[in-house]
Amino acid sequence: MVPQAKPVVGRVPGRSGAPCVVAAGEANGSPIVTGPISVNPSMSPALDPVAAAASPAEAGKSAKAVDRSKGLWTRCDKCGTILYIKHLKEHHHICFGCNYHLKMSSMERINHLIDAGTWRPLDETLSPVDPLEFSDLKLYTDRIKEAQEKTGLQDGVRTGTGLLHGIPVALGVMDFTYMGGSMGSVVGEKLTRLIEYATQEGMPVIIVCTSGGARMQEGIFSLMQMAKISAALHVHQNCANLLYIAILTSPTTGGVTASFGMLGDVIIAEPQAIIGFAGRRVIEQTLQEQLPDDFQTAEYLLEHGLLDLVVPRSFLKGALYEIIDFYRAAPYKKRGMIPFGVQHGTFLTTEEKVRRRWAQWSRGGNGNSKDLAVAGDSSAVSYRELVSSYRTLVAGDAASSGSSRGAAAPLDLQELLADPEALPSAMELAKQSKIEWMARTEELLAAQQDKMQYVFRMK
Amino acid sequence: MQVLKSKTLVSDAAAAPRAARRATVARPSVKVQAAPRLPPDTPKDREGVVGREWLGTILSRFGPVKDKAQNTTTLEFEKPLLELDKRIKEVRKVAEENGVDVSASIAELEGRAKQLRKETYSRLTPVQRLQVARHPNRPTCLDIILNITDKFVELHGDRAGLDDPAIVCGIGSINGTPFMMIGHQKGRNTKENIRRNFGMPQPNGYRKALRFMRHADKFGLPIITFVDTPGAYAGKTAEELGQGEAIAVNLREMFGLRVPIISVVIGEGGSGGALAIGCANRNLIMENAVYYVASPEACAAILWKSRSAAGEATEALRITSAELVKFGVMDHIVPEPLGGAHSDPIAAFPMIKESILNVYSEYAVMSEEEIKLDRYAKFRKLGQFQEFVVKGGDWRTALAERAATAGTTTKTGAWAATEAEARYIEQLVDADEKWEKLMAEGAEWLNKPVQPPGLGRTGIMDVAVSMVEARRRKQQQAGQVHKSAPAPASSNGTVVNAAA
Repeated sequence: MVPQAKPVVGRVPGRSGAPCVVAAGEANGSPIVTGPISVNPSMSPALDPVAAAASPAEAGKSAKAVDRSKGLWTRCDKCGTILYIKHLKEHHHICFGCNYHLKMSSMERINHLIDAGTWRPLDETLSPVDPLEFSDLKLYTDRIKEAQEKTGLQDGVRTGTGLLHGIPVALGVMDFTYMGGSMGSVVGEKLTRLIEYATQEGMPVIIVCTSGGARMQEGIFSLMQMAKISAALHVHQNCANLLYIAILTSPTTGGVTASFGMLGDVIIAEPQAIIGFAGRRVIEQTLQEQLPDDFQTAEYLLEHGLLDLVVPRSFLKGALYEIIDFYRAAPYKKRGMIPFGVQHGTFLTTEEKVRRRWAQWSRGGNGNSKDLAVAGDSSAVSYRELVSSYRTLVAGDAASSGSSRGAAAPLDLQELLADPEALPSAMELAKQSKIEWMARTEELLAAQQDKMQYVFRMK
Repeated sequence: MQVLKSKTLVSDAAAAPRAARRATVARPSVKVQAAPRLPPDTPKDREGVVGREWLGTILSRFGPVKDKAQNTTTLEFEKPLLELDKRIKEVRKVAEENGVDVSASIAELEGRAKQLRKETYSRLTPVQRLQVARHPNRPTCLDIILNITDKFVELHGDRAGLDDPAIVCGIGSINGTPFMMIGHQKGRNTKENIRRNFGMPQPNGYRKALRFMRHADKFGLPIITFVDTPGAYAGKTAEELGQGEAIAVNLREMFGLRVPIISVVIGEGGSGGALAIGCANRNLIMENAVYYVASPEACAAILWKSRSAAGEATEALRITSAELVKFGVMDHIVPEPLGGAHSDPIAAFPMIKESILNVYSEYAVMSEEEIKLDRYAKFRKLGQFQEFVVKGGDWRTALAERAATAGTTTKTGAWAATEAEARYIEQLVDADEKWEKLMAEGAEWLNKPVQPPGLGRTGIMDVAVSMVEARRRKQQQAGQVHKSAPAPASSNGTVVNAAA
């Protein structure tokens, strides 16, 4: 691992193989790329931190990760074409010259995959600590501070739920800009909570993986996160029979490949993504032999049977929808079981939720008012109120003197739906009492075989 | 008897055609002895050996090491001890030759040696412990298994085309109880090490281990794993066969086994390669063994940018057994004899056996569900983080500040440290409620599993709600009968009049 080791035959780390030439004069001109297309992106100096550190003089310009959020233009990592950031964002950060998929930040990925306005982030307040009191060339606490300020994230993953073309999914997206996407305790905890939540609600889980490996500054705790996430996935996939899709983006190495990256029921990778377990240099030094150019790329793994699909980014959202649609319509779909209780802890929001539900319950009536239950400020009406209002309306309770319809006769819904004049007013009434939601909830409850859902959910 | 009878009948019926056939087949007059078939991993130079000699060659693999020439390595910090031992030997030899009575001075020397040994080994630095954990004479997995079990049979193969010599699997019984034993095997000399790939398994080794773990799950054998590896092998074929995937599947499937798993780290535990057979109900670690997420050399190369900082990396990574137990990652330390397991392996084996049996006795009385939950909970609790929004990772200050503030409340009265936090909590709960509506709309995509009774709702709420329901029903009936004003609502949620 000495940076100045004798160069492996045919390839010097830190330099691309015969470089793609886009001369300065052609910068504004044609997008035609001269040079080999099949250059392994891992040889790009921008992705080679050790070699870059070893030779700071020559790699100074391209050693730092290009900050694409600022500025007007950037270069493609692979072919060096000038790319305008505005155009890049429109085209999902794909280089128009060589179709190389550049790195996207986690928020951009979420906007790409999740329908607008439906993203609900989870556990944003989890932050890392320094359990080992680690300091290499810099204190770990300083590194955390720096990374948090640079990216605005608390740690290297964003988790949450949202709709993907209408499908409720639990999505976790890792971010390479935060310490190289390294997996520490916070990443492990956030992903585990996400998977447990999805298991409890019956949602599919999608995790977009990108990582340099386990975070060494957190020592053995990073290693245990691999086991923790895999345990949650065992309950999700094997016990609850739910879907987990892993999307591997470039680069995905180390501990992530050896745990949840390769555990997807369906594993999708982006084209030309670097996915592997051990680093390329380590393997070259162990074997002292030349590795093929496309070693550890997505296409290579596809050939060797480790991936299901290689999907370009522009098709990704549609492909995910279609895949999940197959599983929704499975004829022999089986309802799974959560085998043991992992009680969710009391988090920041629990007290607020309990208080709100309580306020609503005490306001909405303890079954004392015979009126149709009118929904309070909160959109979530309690089950009790809905049942009482539904029964009042349908069964035509004789004692419901407060009913605005005034009729004591039992209501025939079919008749009502056929009647064009009475329908609007009835709909108005229904909106007030949220009957249509009752009907939907009734369906949902009927589909579940367990008992009533209660107002207080400790979540 | 019935069976025998039917057999003879069958043979009688078939005898005639068989006899007829026998007459027609031409047979060579000379009986050719079929060549004895040797197992596929027999070393090439032994092909001419047959019979009892062949048995001897196979069994020699389990015997003491033949070439002991340069075999005992002494570590740097052990050199003073070695000097003292040599001195004692010299004195004894001189005494024998000259017939002088030196028992007093020998006793004194031995006392000093013992004192020095105790001092050295009770104050090992992490670097020294790492050296001891990697000592070439340290007992390997097979050494331990063969010395703690009454009977042991080694089984092979991943049933998919390959076997891996770096992982040893088999069934052995300790004090009459059979266990499935799985472990990483290092070699005792260079030749063996090459054969065993220095204890670095390939994907087929992990798949072999998984196969045997499933086998043990099927038949109800508790599993004991011995972890002693520098890490998973990093090679081209290993990557192509799916090294990452093999480890990941092991990690996932180990949480589905209904039998207790006990893992003993006997040497070094290298990252994912060790964890793939180390997701256990209890993790035992020998006193001088280590467990790391990345080898100190690799860590130094990446974080300190030079391999020479390996010593610093070893100190910083906190890989020793005491630290791991403090963190809660390992559960028990198996003590080693004075001088390390390499200096007195015979004394080390009973300690390992004792620890394993003590731990196993706790699991012998648990049910399957409890065992699975125990394993899940053990790993679920690992990880250090904090739940505040803390810029810069300075959690101590943030915690102190938070404890000191009087704080505000949200609109409904939930406590929050600052106004901003109160708004944030409200925002979060609004988002949650909005999400629940969205989820209800997309209900056809969900497949909500059956939940155990305690998950998501507490038992006490069931009781409370049923009582409230009963009260309401009674009130409704009372309302129907009397057509009177509704009863006054209780100010809190508890049932006031349970007897009504």
